[in-house]
Amino acid sequence: MQKLCLGVMIACLVIFLASGISLAQQKFRIGYADPLTGTFGRDGNLVRDAYNFWGDLVNAKGGIEVKGKKYPVELIVIDDKSIAAENAKFTEKLITEDKVDLILGGFGSDSVFAGSAVAEKYKYPLISGAASSNKLFERGFRYYFSTLGKATEEVRGCVDIVQILSPKPKSGAIIGSDILFTALACEGYKKYAAQNGIEIIHSELFPITLQDYNSMLLKVKQKNPDILFVGSHLMVAMKTIKAMKEIDFSPKMVTFSYGPTVPDFVKSLVKDAEYVVAASEWAPNLPYKDPLFGTARQFNENYFKKYQRYPDYVEAASAAGAYAMQVAIEKLGITPPVKEEDRVRLMEELHKQNLMTFYGVVKFGPDGANEAHPPVAVQIQNGKLLNVFPREAAEAAPWYPMKPWKER
Amino acid sequence: MLLFLQSLLNGILLGGIYAAYSAGFSLIFGVMGVINIFHGEMVMLGAFITYWIFILFHIDPFLTIPFSIISLFIFGYLIQRFVINRVIEAPPMISYILTFGIHLIIAYTALWIWTADFRTVTTSYSGFNANISGIIIPYARLATFGLAIIVVAGLYILLYKSDVGRAIQATAQDKEVARLMGVNVKQIYAITFGIGAAITAIAGSLISTYFIIFPQMGLSYTIMAFCVVVLGGMGYIPGALWGGLILGVVQSLTATYINAGLSGAITFILLFVMLVVRPSGIVGKGIVG
Repeated sequence: MQKLCLGVMIACLVIFLASGISLAQQKFRIGYADPLTGTFGRDGNLVRDAYNFWGDLVNAKGGIEVKGKKYPVELIVIDDKSIAAENAKFTEKLITEDKVDLILGGFGSDSVFAGSAVAEKYKYPLISGAASSNKLFERGFRYYFSTLGKATEEVRGCVDIVQILSPKPKSGAIIGSDILFTALACEGYKKYAAQNGIEIIHSELFPITLQDYNSMLLKVKQKNPDILFVGSHLMVAMKTIKAMKEIDFSPKMVTFSYGPTVPDFVKSLVKDAEYVVAASEWAPNLPYKDPLFGTARQFNENYFKKYQRYPDYVEAASAAGAYAMQVAIEKLGITPPVKEEDRVRLMEELHKQNLMTFYGVVKFGPDGANEAHPPVAVQIQNGKLLNVFPREAAEAAPWYPMKPWKER
Repeated sequence: MLLFLQSLLNGILLGGIYAAYSAGFSLIFGVMGVINIFHGEMVMLGAFITYWIFILFHIDPFLTIPFSIISLFIFGYLIQRFVINRVIEAPPMISYILTFGIHLIIAYTALWIWTADFRTVTTSYSGFNANISGIIIPYARLATFGLAIIVVAGLYILLYKSDVGRAIQATAQDKEVARLMGVNVKQIYAITFGIGAAITAIAGSLISTYFIIFPQMGLSYTIMAFCVVVLGGMGYIPGALWGGLILGVVQSLTATYINAGLSGAITFILLFVMLVVRPSGIVGKGIVG
């Protein structure tokens, strides 16, 4: 009798544990390696905020709905400390040790370049909303996707804007930090400047660790370009503005590939941020919407409610990437734990996807780049980022020429 | 010619910034032989004290300097008195490891409290400059340069004209003899570290007005301070000024006439050559070599 009781108890325990394991697996575990500290720490935190925003919204509705059943999402982030090799290492850890169901991309082309190679090896589709260097798309990868366009194209709006400026600027200087994304942004500036008849009279790349910009900008000032095009991240953009003011360098316009759209830029530089033009791939006034986030403007306002700040376009792109993955999962009926054959199907579905989101249409090309994105240029006017180009989507006319520092 | 003069002036002012945040590093190394890996974190703390006082109470960054000085003096004094003094007699490697550990603790605590945001102090007069015959002189950098000279001169006077200074010197020269003469060596170490931290805080406060500050900025400042001190002579306080000026001018002229990308490489070539050829620094008064 005692043996029978013991047997029943063991059987109950096994059933209980098995059901526990089964319950524990009833959610999507999604991992990503992201720079939360180091040079890109601020930018990486924006991406984390975006994924959390998406995750919380999905979980508030019960989770990702597959065949009538809802599966919550659990986001697992590991700090790669802004070191690309660490991103690869932690992406591998997430896949092989933590055995996550799905992978998302972190911030920065260098990190994502490394991490996506690991994801490709293990056949994990990786959607990034914060990496756009052309080289990411030239590797023949099938599992890498980006809701952003290519870096060289991202700055197109910042150059094409000269078409609506009067008097039209004739010359430009290009400077940029010598890392994957910003160096390619500088290539983009060159390409579109040539198309717009802008003569580039100076071009220079510098290390991202450069502490003092004054002497470098001094020689640019000496050449007196109409426009200063900067291949930048947030810190580079902030340093450039500080240095320009210190050496009293006032071209007719200054544009940045990235940085001014991050709220810290205006918050820290206050009035010195005025007139700055920046590349963007999204603006809240654009007429886009989806069932999860609502309209672009609703996304913008809800984001503000959650974080007391408005989102940057990279955050919008990251959230849209997570949403694109969610829609594909729902369509394919994939449930956790996600198996390799499911991930292969997911990859194939993402290649076919043509999805309207609050961020705009997400349509991945054969190389994984989002083919459907407009070249937007925004300008800081009275402390606000306003869409100023293309004209049909503009919220305001561009302020041009930039008011010299001495007259502000 | 104007470009050359402007670049030269930029270099001199940049050198003043380097000297301002390196003098404390030189003092601490000179007296205790400690290569302080968390030196850059003291720059960061000085900068953040100014930043938060400016943001919360709208007090002008220059008026926040006394707060930075007092806070960092206390911080430096306590950390030496209760932490570094415990290993000061141990082989140098132990103090490197300890200060490296403190560097990590401060940097990551600051990151946790203040997040990775990039910040800067922007006042109504930020970036203001004087234009003298086409030569632009940024006021904030000029003030830093002036303060660097005052700090170095003040330290020199303190070391040679005061009792505490003489005790510090005696300890630096021979701590056993100093101890026999009645000097409380561990107390002197703590005071020296406090002074080093306080003058570093001045530089941090000023830097926040023209550089971008963030919790993990420290290590690059430590590396640059090390370069400055090697160039000027390790342990020789006025050497910080010489080292800073050489580095500032060379970097500025390189950025203006060759390529900004090479300024870092040239800095480390200079460091390498100096360590091999003249380890006692440019004026030959460093205690190493």
